[in-house]
Amino acid sequence: MASTSSAATLPARAGTEDVPRRRGVLARYWPQYVAIAPFYVLFLVFGLFPVAYSFYLSLTEWDGASEITFVGLAQYQYLLGDARFWNAVGNTLIIWVGSTVPMLFFALLIAFLLHQNIRFKGAYRIAFFLPNVTSMVAMAIVFGSVFSDSFGLANGLLRGLGLPEVGWLTEGWSIKLTLILMVIWRWTGYNAIIYLAGLQAIPTELYDAAKVDGASTWRQFVSITVPMLRPVILFTVITSTIGGLSLFTEPQVLLANAGGNENSGGPGEAGMTIVLYQYNQAFTQFDFGYASAIAWALFVLASVFAIINWRLVRDREGLVDRRRRRGGEAR
Amino acid sequence: MHPLSRRRLLGLGAAAGAAAAAGGLSACTGRTALSTDPDELVLWLWNRSASPQLLAEAAENIPGTTKRLRADYIGTTFDTKLRTSLAAQSYIPDLTYINSNNALYFPSEDQFLDLAELGADAHEQDFYPWKWSLCRTPTGVLRFYPLDIGPTGFFYRRDIFADAGLPSEPEEVSAATRTWDEWLELGAKLRRDADVALVQTTTVLFDIFLDSSAERFFDAQDRPLFDRPGSAVRQAWDLAVRALEMGVVANAASTTDQNAGWVSGRTAGHLEGAWWTQVVKETAPDTAGEWRIATQPGPPGNSGGSFVAIPRTCKDPEAAFALIEWMQSPENQVRTYNDVQLFPSTPASFETGQMDPQSDFFGGQDPLEFFSTAAQTVPTTFISTHESKTGAFDTELALVANGAKEPEAGWEAAVAEVNRVLEKRGVI
Repeated sequence: MASTSSAATLPARAGTEDVPRRRGVLARYWPQYVAIAPFYVLFLVFGLFPVAYSFYLSLTEWDGASEITFVGLAQYQYLLGDARFWNAVGNTLIIWVGSTVPMLFFALLIAFLLHQNIRFKGAYRIAFFLPNVTSMVAMAIVFGSVFSDSFGLANGLLRGLGLPEVGWLTEGWSIKLTLILMVIWRWTGYNAIIYLAGLQAIPTELYDAAKVDGASTWRQFVSITVPMLRPVILFTVITSTIGGLSLFTEPQVLLANAGGNENSGGPGEAGMTIVLYQYNQAFTQFDFGYASAIAWALFVLASVFAIINWRLVRDREGLVDRRRRRGGEAR
Repeated sequence: MHPLSRRRLLGLGAAAGAAAAAGGLSACTGRTALSTDPDELVLWLWNRSASPQLLAEAAENIPGTTKRLRADYIGTTFDTKLRTSLAAQSYIPDLTYINSNNALYFPSEDQFLDLAELGADAHEQDFYPWKWSLCRTPTGVLRFYPLDIGPTGFFYRRDIFADAGLPSEPEEVSAATRTWDEWLELGAKLRRDADVALVQTTTVLFDIFLDSSAERFFDAQDRPLFDRPGSAVRQAWDLAVRALEMGVVANAASTTDQNAGWVSGRTAGHLEGAWWTQVVKETAPDTAGEWRIATQPGPPGNSGGSFVAIPRTCKDPEAAFALIEWMQSPENQVRTYNDVQLFPSTPASFETGQMDPQSDFFGGQDPLEFFSTAAQTVPTTFISTHESKTGAFDTELALVANGAKEPEAGWEAAVAEVNRVLEKRGVI
């Protein structure tokens, strides 16, 4: 509605340029501002206000019910020396790297295969996307059954092969591995679909030309698919960074009853992530001041990775430009 | 002319929207009650915490008043939702159930009415005294009222005990395990002869010991007791560690493993409150008739059991309290038990003869008789609001159980971490 209206008024404006500008803008466009207002009002109430308020809270001590006491930077000071927080940071980074790299590789591979001329394409696409829309509670039950120590399928398989059993949900590194597997299982299909969309935008002439030149499928993948998909790959890397740093649902549901305390990521807090620790402090310990400080620490951390990402992208673009230029000179 | 009329149309729509938004916002401010109907009281509760029949009757009319009840089932994160309402002072229910963690509300106790002022003291004699004591805040004010209780006992598999040549009838088992040492010895024998565990985790023993102890983590003035030599917490820790070393614990951390353990008989027992009868029936229906309940070593304890409270914004405290009196009377606690198996907190309920003991699962042993007897000797204790900050004991105990840490190192790490948290939160 708003867009059609502005399109209709724009030509009229060109003819009445002599009307005083400042007054004219408001008088003319207030309906458009009103039309976009719902988003901004919602953003103010549910976006900007909580962000600002959480910063205020991070400077206070508050249990969610009693009086709010201002404590300055004490929460941040405690955070710097809090071994549990740094453990959560370490866990988050390990799980993020451990899941993102294989996940994006498999997603690309799956997308490439789905893009071939094969039968039942639709069925495969749905099958790969299904994990992403599966209820997390159901997933937690299934994963809990597969990875439970003495009666789980995973350990049953290891026993059958004569291998030692693994404490999938009870030991430090195994907990991280289980979480990595869960993230990969849940998000690979999602990324594959994004890659598939990117693949479909690559002109088929390139592949035809490559085939004529006798390039193998692998060569086509490496020399055409990957370079042409670069923007899409960068998009998935960035979304995976955001998702990986704010990992919460998987450890929360999977380790909810795997020993130790509620919302603490299992024994030894081996599956504790930054956001889970924040949730734990806010809604299990009712320490809202500290939970807000953790949120802001995560913001700083995410900013650092965003800058690294941005630098990498920029440098890579520069590199490609140089390479192109060099190629041109050679010719 | 055309764009102008369209603009006017847009403007009219926007004005209408703004008016509606303003109306909605003004409705938000200053509204503390959930229901604007003056004759309707709202109760917050969770699944299986009240008899649906009693709620249906109260929805028509709360006996002795002119009011009606609206029962709102609040799903997960009950405390977060209730605390949000209380913090915002808006959309607060007129009555609310509160789980066994009522100590969480001690720091903001003035959010709830003093029930003694409504005449609750007259009912003190009706309830188990230790439960009544849990209804008082540290300042001595009665702000909670008893719902159910969870007296504890030692559940075990008669058939597995008999096969292993151990005492197997409840009286024999109770007599053979009067102390924790005897109980551990029996568990070690069971492990040796049948390769079966007695309990699932070290946490079970740590918790059940403290649940049956008069001393817990803090004294009534919230001063820490756990780090004193020979404290109850230290004894609970040592019991858990010894059980681990003697092979009495299955170390089944996940619920999947625990359920499988009880179903398969790899774990032949559990120490838990009366409500576990219902859990084991649903978990391991095929083992029906083989379970028995013996008294645990030392006095019985209490695990779980909830409360009801009246927020101070309640629109009609007298009617709200009339509802509580009616629902928690010995007769109606019997009905609640028969409907949703909540264990009554009034000794008189067991004398009505109206309760179905469902003793088939326990081979004819009457669990009601067992637990109502146990409930008479539960020690009176004080649960501090700061117990929620002692989670490090569970964390470290899980690490010790995994073999990731030596017991003494685990204990020291737990005490240090809890002290660090208490210091941060300004408790010590």
